[in-house]
Amino acid sequence: MEVVLHLTVVPNVELVAAKAVETLGDALGMDRNGVEAATVALVEACLNAMEHGGGQVVVRMAKEESEPPRLRIEVEDEGQGFDPEAQSNDASTRVHGCVSKRGWGLTLIRELMDDVQISSEPGKTLVRMWKGLGGSS
Amino acid sequence: MSDAQINISTNVLDENLGLISAAGYINNEGGQAVADAAEELVGKGCSSLLIDLEGTRIINSIGVSILLEIMEKLMDNDGVLAFCNLTPTIAKTFEIMGLDQYARVFPDREVAVNAFASDATS
Repeated sequence: MEVVLHLTVVPNVELVAAKAVETLGDALGMDRNGVEAATVALVEACLNAMEHGGGQVVVRMAKEESEPPRLRIEVEDEGQGFDPEAQSNDASTRVHGCVSKRGWGLTLIRELMDDVQISSEPGKTLVRMWKGLGGSS
Repeated sequence: MSDAQINISTNVLDENLGLISAAGYINNEGGQAVADAAEELVGKGCSSLLIDLEGTRIINSIGVSILLEIMEKLMDNDGVLAFCNLTPTIAKTFEIMGLDQYARVFPDREVAVNAFASDATS
């Protein structure tokens, strides 16, 4: 079973993806915490894709028959790309008194999901992320 | 859990503690609705705020950033921001973004209110 969404950039469209991952996760017997973690990570990935991408955002999600089985989510956009390693993960530099509090998307995705792979080049950015059906966050 | 609407209600629990109940998606709009409620309660004399997120299952980093701004404004006036009824994922998101370093987190409203009452009498 694979779910594929082609999202046009309109306000709150990320909730369409959120609803889809919730529905699929429940259908696969994923635990509630895992579903909610995957949902927040997917929302962040969609927001990044819509903010930095261009045109439609494509979301694919499916069960991966690994051991243990996992939910795989992919978010693809056609934007200019970015350097996924260029982001700070140090919360202490970002919180109190910091002018900008944006830019947490990739950090949240990496922390909430079990595994994340990002490939980015001009014209195509693909975020692939996995969450075990039993959950571990 | 994927409802774009957010329902906000406010209550002044005592002269120092205001309660905001927020149920729905905390994004830029939801976060701003919470911020507006916070400003209203501070205007009524509440120096500390408790935000009850029972009914909130989904947040994003923009919404949490607005919560951080609420917290900083309270701290600048020696107030405290507290949360209760967080899902495990929201609690972890707060931890990742450093919100839990400065805000107080309680399991439910009763525990939170008792803690503030205890602080007031000590």
